[in-house]
Amino acid sequence: VKDVVIKPDAPSDLLLDKHADYIAAYGSKKDDYEYTLSEYLRVSGIYWGLTVMDLMGQLTRMNQQEISDFIKSCQHDCGGISASIGHDPHLLYTLSAIQILCLYDNVHILDVDKVVEYVKGLQQEDGSFAGDKWGEIDTRFSFCAVATLALLGKLDAINMNKAVEFVLSCMNFDGGFGCRPGSESHAGQIYCCTGFLSLTGQLHQINADLLGWWLCERQLPSGGLNGRPEKLPDVCYSWWVLASLKIIGRIHWIDKAKLRSFILACQDEETGGFADRPGDMVDPFHTLFGVAGLSLLGDEQIKDVNPVLCMPEDVLDRIGLHPDLLS
Amino acid sequence: EVDVLVQRVVKDINNAFKRNPNIDEIGLIPCPEARYNRSPIVLVENKLGVESWCVKFLLPYVHNKLLLYRQRKQWLDREALVDITCTLLLLNPDFTTAWNVRKELLQCGALSPQKDLYLGKLALTKFPKSPETWIHRRWVLKQVLRECFPPEPDRKEQVGGDRCNAVERLRLGEHLHRVLHDEIKVCANAAGRYPSNYNAWSHRIWVVQHMAQDNLKVLHDELSSMRQWVSMHVSDHSGFHYRQFLLKCLVGALSLSPSSSPQTDARGLSLDCQRRLPQQVNGEATAAGSCPRSPEEQPLVPAVLFLFQQEMELCTDLIQSFPGHEALWCHRRHVFYLWHHW
Amino acid sequence: MKLYSLSVFHKGPTKSNLLKSAYDLSSFSFFQRSSVQEFMTFTSALIVERSTHGSRASVKEQEYLCHVYVRNDSLSAVVIADSEYPQRVAFTLLDKVLEEFSRQVDSIDWPSGNPDTINYKALDMHLAKYQVQNPREADAMSKVQAELDETKIILHNTMESLLERGEKLDDLVQKSEHLGNQSKAFYKTARKQN
Ligand SMILES: CC(C)=CCC/C(C)=C/CC/C(C)=C/CC/C(C)=C/COP(=O)(O)OP(=O)(O)O
Repeated sequence: VKDVVIKPDAPSDLLLDKHADYIAAYGSKKDDYEYTLSEYLRVSGIYWGLTVMDLMGQLTRMNQQEISDFIKSCQHDCGGISASIGHDPHLLYTLSAIQILCLYDNVHILDVDKVVEYVKGLQQEDGSFAGDKWGEIDTRFSFCAVATLALLGKLDAINMNKAVEFVLSCMNFDGGFGCRPGSESHAGQIYCCTGFLSLTGQLHQINADLLGWWLCERQLPSGGLNGRPEKLPDVCYSWWVLASLKIIGRIHWIDKAKLRSFILACQDEETGGFADRPGDMVDPFHTLFGVAGLSLLGDEQIKDVNPVLCMPEDVLDRIGLHPDLLS
Repeated sequence: EVDVLVQRVVKDINNAFKRNPNIDEIGLIPCPEARYNRSPIVLVENKLGVESWCVKFLLPYVHNKLLLYRQRKQWLDREALVDITCTLLLLNPDFTTAWNVRKELLQCGALSPQKDLYLGKLALTKFPKSPETWIHRRWVLKQVLRECFPPEPDRKEQVGGDRCNAVERLRLGEHLHRVLHDEIKVCANAAGRYPSNYNAWSHRIWVVQHMAQDNLKVLHDELSSMRQWVSMHVSDHSGFHYRQFLLKCLVGALSLSPSSSPQTDARGLSLDCQRRLPQQVNGEATAAGSCPRSPEEQPLVPAVLFLFQQEMELCTDLIQSFPGHEALWCHRRHVFYLWHHW
Repeated sequence: MKLYSLSVFHKGPTKSNLLKSAYDLSSFSFFQRSSVQEFMTFTSALIVERSTHGSRASVKEQEYLCHVYVRNDSLSAVVIADSEYPQRVAFTLLDKVLEEFSRQVDSIDWPSGNPDTINYKALDMHLAKYQVQNPREADAMSKVQAELDETKIILHNTMESLLERGEKLDDLVQKSEHLGNQSKAFYKTARKQN
C-alpha cells in the first residue's frame, strides 16, 4: 500500500499560535523568490491565508485596507478578477476575490453587476462554464461560477438547468465526478461537483451511498486521505474528501481520530503551517485545508467551517447563505 | 549588473534553441553558486539545463518584464515577447497570463502552433502535471482543428474544385494524424514521469474525443499500446481509467449498426481503414479465427464479447501476478460494469 | 515496474565496501541522474551496513523499495526498485547474482576490492534481464524461486528505522564523503517538496 509512516515524535497537538504567526508573516516576504513564483495565483493565496486566519479567530491581524485595495485593482473592465495586477481575469480568482470580500463584508467595493455579467458570459451552450475567455471547460469552473453567484445572491443570472445537466454528465460509474464528461473521478473534482449540486439544490441527483463508499475508501492505514486509488495521502484531500462526505451526509464513514492524527502530523513545529505530508515543506494552501479539515472533524478551538464554500459559518450566516447538506 | 547578466542568460537560452532544434528535455542543475566566467545554460545530448543559482535572478526579471508590458508600462516587440514568455514558462509553466500572451501572438501570426506545442512539450518534461500547460495545449489544438476544418461558411466550394479539394483534404488528414500521434506521445511521456498523472490522462481523453472519437483504428491502436503500458504500471489508476474510456468508445462504436457507406466525418480522412473491424487492423482483439467472414457481414456482437473476454483475462492475469493493487480491482469492477450495461 | 540499481558489497566490521554496481536511470530526468546514482549507492551501502549477517530485508524509502540480502559470508547485494516491482523476483535476482559473483570472484578480494579492480561483468546484463518487459515473465521468474521463505524477509517502513537512536539521515548525508556537493544540494531540494 502506498502510504506514509507517522513517526512517534510527529506533532500531535494543534499549534494554532504558530500557524497564525506563519500566515501573518507570509505576506511580509514579498521580495522572496517563492513569493514571485506564486504570484500567478495570488488572490487565491490571499483567500487561503485570510480564511485560515478567520477560522482561528485571528483575521484582525491581516491588513484589511491593503488587501481590499489590492482586490479592487485586480478587477478588469470585463468584470472578471485576475490573480494579481497585470494578470488576466479568470473564474478561479473571481471566486476567491468574492470570498475574501465576504470575509470583510465589503463586496460592494467591486462593481458587482459586472462580476455577474462576467460569470454569466462564460456559460456555454451545453451549460458548462469556461474558466476565462479562452474557453477551457472544467467542472471546477462550474463550481466557481455558482459559488460566486450564490455569494452575491445572483444564482438566477445563469441557465441553471443546463448548468446542472452538464455537471451530471461528468458523473462516473463509481459515483464520483471528473473534470469533463468521460474523465476519471478525482476527489477535488468531486468536491466541486457536490458543492455545485448543493448550491443548486440538486443533491438528490447523487448516489450518496455509492459516492460515499468511494470517498471513504480514500482513507489509508496512516489515517490520511488520498485523492484517488493508490496515491499518497495529502492534507488537502482531508478537505476535498471530508467536505464532500459532509455534503452528502456520510462523514461518519471514516475514522476521524486517525485522520486527525494524520493532519496534526503534517504540522511543522518550527515554522508553523501544514505540509502536504509529514516532513515536507509547509504552505498556506495546505495550512488552510489542514485547519479546515480539523474544523469539520469537530475541533473546538477552530470556528465551524462551511463544507461547501470553505468559509467560516458565521460569515455565511451574515450573508444568509445556507447551502443544502444531505443527512 | 544583474540586468546585464540576466539579459545574457535569456539570450543564451534562446540561442540554444536556435542552435539545436532537437532539444527534448529541460532541467535544473543543482548548483548553489555561480561558477566563474561560465554561462549557467548547459546543453548536452539535446538536454537543456539551467544552473539553479541563476533562477532567482532570471525568473523575477522575465516575470517583471512581462507584467510591465501587460500593464502597458513598457513596450516589447513580438520577438522579445516570444523570448521572454519562453524563458518564463520554462521556469514557471503555470503562469497563465504568459500562455495567454502567446495565444495572442499565435492569433496574429507571430507564432506557429507547432512552435507553441513544442514549448509546452519541453515544459512538461520538467513539470509533467502543470495544469496550465495542458490547458494551453488544448487551446492550440483547437486552433489546429479549426484550420483543418473551417466552419462551413468559410469553406469555398468552387466549381471543378473537387479534385483539388480531395488532395487538400488528404493532406489535412495526414497533418492531423501526425498532430494526434505527437500529442499521444507527449501524454505518454508525461504519464511516465508522474504516476497517475490526472492532467496528462484527461488530456489524452480530450484528444481522442476531439480528434478520433469514431475512428476505430485509432481506438484499437490505443487499446493495444495501453495493454503493455498498464501491465507495466499496475498501480496507475489513471492509466486504467483511460483503458476503460477506450473500451467504452469501442463498445459503442462496434455496437452501432455496421454501415458500409464510407465515413463522412473528415476527421478520419487519411485513415483508410477507418471503419474496419478489429481483426482487420493490428488491434489486440484478433478475433480472426472465430469470425471468418468479410467485414461487412460480420456480426458485431462477437467482437464486443471478445473484447470483454480479453479484458477479463488480462485483469485476472495481472491480479494474480501482482497481488494487492487497488487499481486492478477498480478496473475489474469497471469492466464488469461495462459488460453488464452493454 | 522498474529496477534502478543493482549493487554488490562486502560487509565489513563497520563499513560496507562496494564491489560492483549497475544502474538503469533512464526514467530520471537527465540532469538528476548523476545525483540519483550517488544516492542509490549511498543508500545501498548504508542498508548493508545496518543489516545483520544472514538476513533479507526490504526497506521503503519514499516511492522506492530497496531489497537487501546479506549472506553469512558477508557478501551482500542490494537492488533498488519501484514499489510495483514484485518482491519475490527481486530476491531471486539477488540470490542469483551473489551466487554467480562468489563463484567468479575469489573471496580474498572481497574486503578490499573496488569496482575498478573486481572482474565481474554480468551485473548490467542481469539488471537488464530482470527489467520486467512482460508481466507473464515476472510471474514465471518468481515461481522458479518458490522455496524462498517470504516470512524471513524483514520489512522496514522507513530508512530511519535502520538508524540508531538520535541518528538522522540528513546528518549522514551531509557527512558522507561519497556524495558530491551537487548531490547534497539535490537532496535538500528533493526532500522538502511534494
Ligand atoms: C473554495 C475552494 C476551497 C476551492 C475553489 C474550487 C476549486 C478550484 C477547487 C479545486 C479542486 C481540485 C483540487 C481539483 C483537482 C484538480 C486536479 C484534477 C488535480 C490533478 O492533480 P493530480 O494529478 O491528482 O495531482 P496530485 O497527485 O498532486 O494530487
